[in-house]
Amino acid sequence: MAKAELKTNKKTEIEDSSSLKGTLASVFFLGIFLVVTWVSVYFLFLDRF
Amino acid sequence: MSSQTTKLKVDPRDGKLAMAHFYVAFIALALGGLMGLLQTLVRSGKFELPWGIDYYQVLTVHGVLMGLVLTTFFIMGFQYAAISRTAGTHSPAARRIGWIGFWVMTIGTIMAATMVLLKEASVLYTFYAPLKAHWIFYLGMTFVVVGSWLDGAAQIMTYARWRKENPGKPSPLLSFMAIINTVMWIVATLGVASTVLFQLLPWSLGLVDTVDVLVSRTLFWYFGHPLVYFWLLPAYMCWYAIIPKIIGGKIFSDSLARLSFILFLLFSIPVGFHHQLTEPGIDPAWKFLQVVLTFMVIIPSLMTAFSLFATFERYGRSKGATGLFGWFKVLPWKDARFTVPFIGMASFIPAGAGGIINASNQMNQVVHNTIWVTGHFHLTAATSVVLTFFGITFWLVPHLTGRKLTKAMNKLAIIQGWVWFIGMAFMSGAMHFQGLLGGPRRSAFSTYGDSAQAAEWIPYQIAQAVGGSILFLGIILMLIIFVNLAFFAPKGEEEFPVGEAENLEEKAPMIFENWKLWLGITALLILFAYTIPFIDIIQNAPPGSPGFKTWGSW
Repeated sequence: MAKAELKTNKKTEIEDSSSLKGTLASVFFLGIFLVVTWVSVYFLFLDRF
Repeated sequence: MSSQTTKLKVDPRDGKLAMAHFYVAFIALALGGLMGLLQTLVRSGKFELPWGIDYYQVLTVHGVLMGLVLTTFFIMGFQYAAISRTAGTHSPAARRIGWIGFWVMTIGTIMAATMVLLKEASVLYTFYAPLKAHWIFYLGMTFVVVGSWLDGAAQIMTYARWRKENPGKPSPLLSFMAIINTVMWIVATLGVASTVLFQLLPWSLGLVDTVDVLVSRTLFWYFGHPLVYFWLLPAYMCWYAIIPKIIGGKIFSDSLARLSFILFLLFSIPVGFHHQLTEPGIDPAWKFLQVVLTFMVIIPSLMTAFSLFATFERYGRSKGATGLFGWFKVLPWKDARFTVPFIGMASFIPAGAGGIINASNQMNQVVHNTIWVTGHFHLTAATSVVLTFFGITFWLVPHLTGRKLTKAMNKLAIIQGWVWFIGMAFMSGAMHFQGLLGGPRRSAFSTYGDSAQAAEWIPYQIAQAVGGSILFLGIILMLIIFVNLAFFAPKGEEEFPVGEAENLEEKAPMIFENWKLWLGITALLILFAYTIPFIDIIQNAPPGSPGFKTWGSW
């Protein structure tokens, strides 16, 4: 029983330290920023040409 | 033990050559920075240059010193030291070639600079024909390029020796990256060397009367775009392979880093037309093809962004950080070797976004030849790249001079980074907005006959002068730090940080070192993107142009 408990704890720890959730969120923010700036200038282009 | 310590240090003989490069680079920063300040002051409309000094002369000094001299000298010095640190001390023969390269570059710089100062070459840093400079200017630029080839040859020799001594093993990451950049530089500079040797030199010497402007500009941009990646890749070397060690983390993936560098080699050259999208005489279909190839460069850029975020998050979580962005807080913000390049990395997000807009086939018309473009490359080159170079200086210069980065200097370095950031936010930000309103680049102050549109630009030009003044303060701080680290800091040992990959069992595939393959694909892509349009440009050429001099003599 004690052994199983130890295993669970270890597993959680590994999962947490190797998580790349923040990286995923960061690259999404980066992608959104690229799209928003591009679309803004695209509308400026449509407006002018 | 002692042998291990010596391996971790760059050999003093190699250090001396690297430092020689840095002295020239920082002299260029001082003079070029002063010129930049003068430009923003003139453009504010509140100041005029004294003693008949011409705005375009100042602009040429700024562009040539910052864009060509500071960058090339710093990069060659840094790569020379990085290869010495990771692939072993350079042989006496390689070092001799390196020194010859350094002197050839320096003599070339002095020749070109003298002609600019004598007001014989106010041709801006792009030296676009039909603006015609004195032949000594072009010869000087040729010397700079040839010198850099010799510098590159020294690096390639040491890399080749390492490969011979370690068959079947992937080369050290930093050496591999430096060689990719050197190879890209050699392939790219063939373009600028061709236009200078076969067109501009004979023309400025009076051997021929006219020049084919479109051919010269096409050859320039064949070189000009990989030039910006030549600036950027050493910064990426620091971000991928050095920053992880500085923060105490690991390189996310050694193979990913190598693959992204190979993609830069392949896709940063056959794309020069995206600088010529409004230029008549080039078939639009070929322009579009090169736009598509340009967009391929986004892939390794985003791979880099992912890899850096992952390195930071892994490190933060190993320190016990939790939550989505908890890792961000635990990064070593009090260490200038990290913080200053980090400001550079963060700046690359708006810089890259602007670049995608510039390269977009039709949208380029919104920003072409406006000061938006100047704002763009002051984020890429003058923030991302330059702040990373400063971040490298903080440890590399004391490492080479046997000194230490003191706490006080570290603090001043962080202040310097933030001063730069604030100054650039004003200057580059105002340039971007003014550009969207149509404000032209490469132009002195003018009210354009009191036009209403030009009046809209003036507040932005004043903001640029404010930003330029703050940036000049940043340059003064940087020069103080450099002089301190080179001559006055206390003696000691400063580490040359070299990161380790997270997964050491993951050996980089040997195909990455197959130069025949990568150079072959590079050549094929270049031939594919340029051959037909280039034949077309030559066959349908208009009459050549005589030279123009838009500036008066002293």
